[in-house]
Formats: sequence, C-alpha cells, structure tokens
Amino acid sequence: MSTNLFDLSLEDKLYRTRFETDHDFRHIEVEDSVCRTCAERTCLDICPAEVYKPDPNDARLVVARYENCLECGTCRVMCEPEGIRWRFPNGGMGVKYRYG
Amino acid sequence: MSDEQVKLDALVVGGGPAGLAAALTMARQGMEVGVLERGDSCGSKNVSGLLYTTVLSDLLPDYLDSAPLERPVSRRTLAFLDGEAHWSATFGAEAWSAAPCNHTHVVHRPQFDRWFAEQTEEAGASILDSMVVEGLVYEGDGPGKRAVGVQVRDDEPLYADAIVLADGANCLVTESAISELGLAKGKKPQTWALGVKQIVALPREKIEDRFNLDPHEGCALDFFGSPFEGLVGGGFLYTGRETVGVGFAAKAESFAARKLKPREVLDAFCRHPVVRKYLQGGELIEYSCHMIPESGYLAIPELIGNGVLIAGDAAGLVNMSLYHEGSNHAMASGRAAGQTAAKAHAAGDFSKAALQPYVSQLQDTFVMKDMAKYQEIPEIMDALPELFSLYPRKLCSLLIDFFTVSQQPKADTQKAAIRKFFAGLPKLQGAHNLWKARKLV
Repeated sequence: MSTNLFDLSLEDKLYRTRFETDHDFRHIEVEDSVCRTCAERTCLDICPAEVYKPDPNDARLVVARYENCLECGTCRVMCEPEGIRWRFPNGGMGVKYRYG
Repeated sequence: MSDEQVKLDALVVGGGPAGLAAALTMARQGMEVGVLERGDSCGSKNVSGLLYTTVLSDLLPDYLDSAPLERPVSRRTLAFLDGEAHWSATFGAEAWSAAPCNHTHVVHRPQFDRWFAEQTEEAGASILDSMVVEGLVYEGDGPGKRAVGVQVRDDEPLYADAIVLADGANCLVTESAISELGLAKGKKPQTWALGVKQIVALPREKIEDRFNLDPHEGCALDFFGSPFEGLVGGGFLYTGRETVGVGFAAKAESFAARKLKPREVLDAFCRHPVVRKYLQGGELIEYSCHMIPESGYLAIPELIGNGVLIAGDAAGLVNMSLYHEGSNHAMASGRAAGQTAAKAHAAGDFSKAALQPYVSQLQDTFVMKDMAKYQEIPEIMDALPELFSLYPRKLCSLLIDFFTVSQQPKADTQKAAIRKFFAGLPKLQGAHNLWKARKLV
C-alpha cells in the first residue's frame, strides 16, 4: 500500500473511510434486462467508489460491489430508469463518515 | 388506529441541518417530535465544506462557543488554473476572524451534525438513529390523500400528524411522497452535481504556515479551469484545524458526457502544482462523496402536501452560484417548516391548505429570493462551458505573457499578449457571454 498522498489507489482511499459492511443485505441490485440494452454504461465511470465493474462472466452486464458504496446515489440518478435498484443500506450500516 | 400504534405530533425524516432545525423548532413549541436518521448518528452520511451560520445563530445563539467548528473563513480565494500556470484573487477582512466570523466556518459535518442533534434532543426531540424510512403511510384517496406516518424498515410504522421530509440530496422518501400525493414537480427536472472529497491530516503549524493563517483564522480556496477541462464545476481547498478538505464538484452529466472518472479528476486536481504544495506530506484520513441538487429554483417541487412539508436538499434548495449555499437554506427551510407545523398543531389542522404558510413564509426569506435570483445559473453553466475553460485560460496566459520578463520592448510584449488573448476568443460572443455570466454573481 502506497503512503504517498498523491499515489493512492482507490482501494487505499476506501480503506481510510470507515464502513460497517452488511454482508446480509445488498442495497444495490442491477437489473440485467435493462443493463443488456444500455449503450452508455455510465455507471462504470461515474461512481467515485467504482462500485460497478464489467461482469467477468458476461461483458454486456455489470456487477455491483455494494460493499464499497459511499451512498451518494449518483448511479441511481444517472442510470437508465429501473436499471439500478438502489435502496438505503440497513440502519447504521454502510459508510460512516468521521469528517465528511 | 389501535392502542399499540406509536403516534407523535411530528416525525422528521432525516437528521441533517433541515430536519434538525425543523425538529428543534417544533420541540421548542412543545410538540412531541421524532427524528428518523438512517446513520448510526446524525451526520454520518453527510459531506460538505463550508457552513454559513446565519440561521444557526438565530436557532442556537451560543453555537460559537459550543459547536464543533473547525476554523472560521477569514479569507477567500478564487483561483484559476491553467496547466501549470495560475492566477487568483484573494480577499478577506480582519473582521472575518472575529465573532461572528462573517457567519462562515469550515466544519466536519458528521461532528457538527451530531452536535446539532444533541442540541435538538436537549430541546426535547427524540433522535431515532439507525432507522431507515422506506416510505410514508397514507390514508384516503385523491386530493384528500394524506400522509399519516412512516414505514420503518423491519419495524412497525410510526405515526404523526405532521411529517417533515428532510432526506437530503438522495431523497428516495421525498420522491415517493411527491408521486403518492400527486405533488407538482418543478418546472424543470432536478439534476445533480457530484462532489468528491478527501480529508488530509496535516499538523496545525504546517497548515497555518502554508495557508498563512493565525491560529484563529482559516481560509477557503475555490478553483476553476484545468484540470476540470470540459467539466461544469470546480475544486476547493478548505482549512480545518488539523485537516485540509480538498475536493471538487461538477455536474454529474458533465462527467458522464466525457467518460471522466471523478476519482481521477480529483487526483489530477490534487497533483496540480498549486494544490499539491498545500497538501504534500499530509495523510489521507477519509475519502468521501455526495450529490448536490443543482437545478435551482425551477426544479423545486411543491413543498407541501396533506400532512407533509419538504425541506432542505430534498426540496432542491441549493444556491449553486459562487456562494454555494445549501446547509443554511436547509436550516432556514427546516425552521420555517417547523414553525408552520407548530401552528398547524395548535390549530389541529394538517391539511395542505393549513401548511401553506410554510411556502409563503419561505418565499419572503432570503432562501427563495436567492433561489429566484439565481434561477438561470444551471442554464448559463450549460450554455457557457467557456466560463470554466477558455476564459480562465485566456486570462491566465494574458497575465503570464504580460509579466514574462525579457529584453523585448514592453510595448511589443504587451501587444503580442493582447493579440494572443483575443485570438480564438469570439469577440461579440465573448462580450455577450460575459454579460450573461454576470448572473453568476
């Protein structure tokens, strides 16, 4: 892990943000049928935590690593309607900012 | 309603500045109020930099002594970056370092909001943390349909006469309430800016040396120009006591249009020589992001329904001009919503008509007057991408060319600099654009 402020990977950055990971509740679900018809694939670039990655098993689809989600909701408002089912994580779970 | 159902006078969805200001106001009027917050404490999902405190100073006059404020903003800088060159305008006043510090402070929102929640609890409201509201509970149909409670995830519904919706920028509850109650949406659809931010820890003396501050001073620097090429937005540096907040916000659509990754743009901003020197040697202690509703006045929905008042970011009450005013508007709208709910409580009428004073009261405050004044900003920012790239770059190179020392006669240097400045700057359009851009101020 790099310690130089200017060379930190996304993983390094997320490591410094506090999370309470909920292994029992995926608060983001991608609707594959919408995903298949999407040419923009905005989610792959727009998410500051890069939650969305191409599905290794099907390049037309994406998988959501919801554990890294910073809960801004940008994917939800930028995706095609119904493309992402975004719910709030359970109470007290998810990102826990200390400084904000 | 059965005996087991829990009913309060008012419920507030969201424990940020809007919700807490509403709850505080209602609790002081003797109402039984519950604030539902999905985080394990208020503020744990919140991000922002500067806090304007004019409304806070009315609500909690002792805040300067008790609130966890980082530094006052005694100096501001507007800076323009171009590649590795830059120019900036800095201004400030000694008075801004002394109470009430121009009502502008750098805060860490999770810490500030938690304090605000404690004050609200002391006033008699209950903060119900770690509670996710899935939606509202309704009764009736058609125009008579009214909200009577909130559906809490994995729990029994809670009931109340008045519900203040203050669920912030990512307002799932407000969106569903607008559709369930058939409230009018804004004239324009809401769109959002995305802000990405890093908190960098540095020793206090280093911050004061680098930013040229006394211990009781702080500063805010706003940046335009590169590396935000083609992005509608800009970057910032805010000084905390032992932290520097560095980040930037831009229209989400402008990231998407250019397939730019927010994290990479932030990295490029941090590495810019001007920014880098403030941060180097520091330690990253948090990475965060948040949305900001940015469509302004024309995207504000109807703010009331039967049993419901909408406040803060959920209502889209953010001034996206150079003032970047959101939290103060949130507190002003929360306070106005709380005052109206308290009157409705006294009268025993929570119908939409009875809640109308919230809207008219807000119209008479700086909140709606400013929102109306800046209503053209989203359009101007869309129509004039030059404001964020071409113009700053032109100004920058004009200054650099003007002051580049050589043995060329100054008249020639200046003539060349001015000729270069106007080359590629469509003259009429430039003047017209600058005239339009006045509305940003």
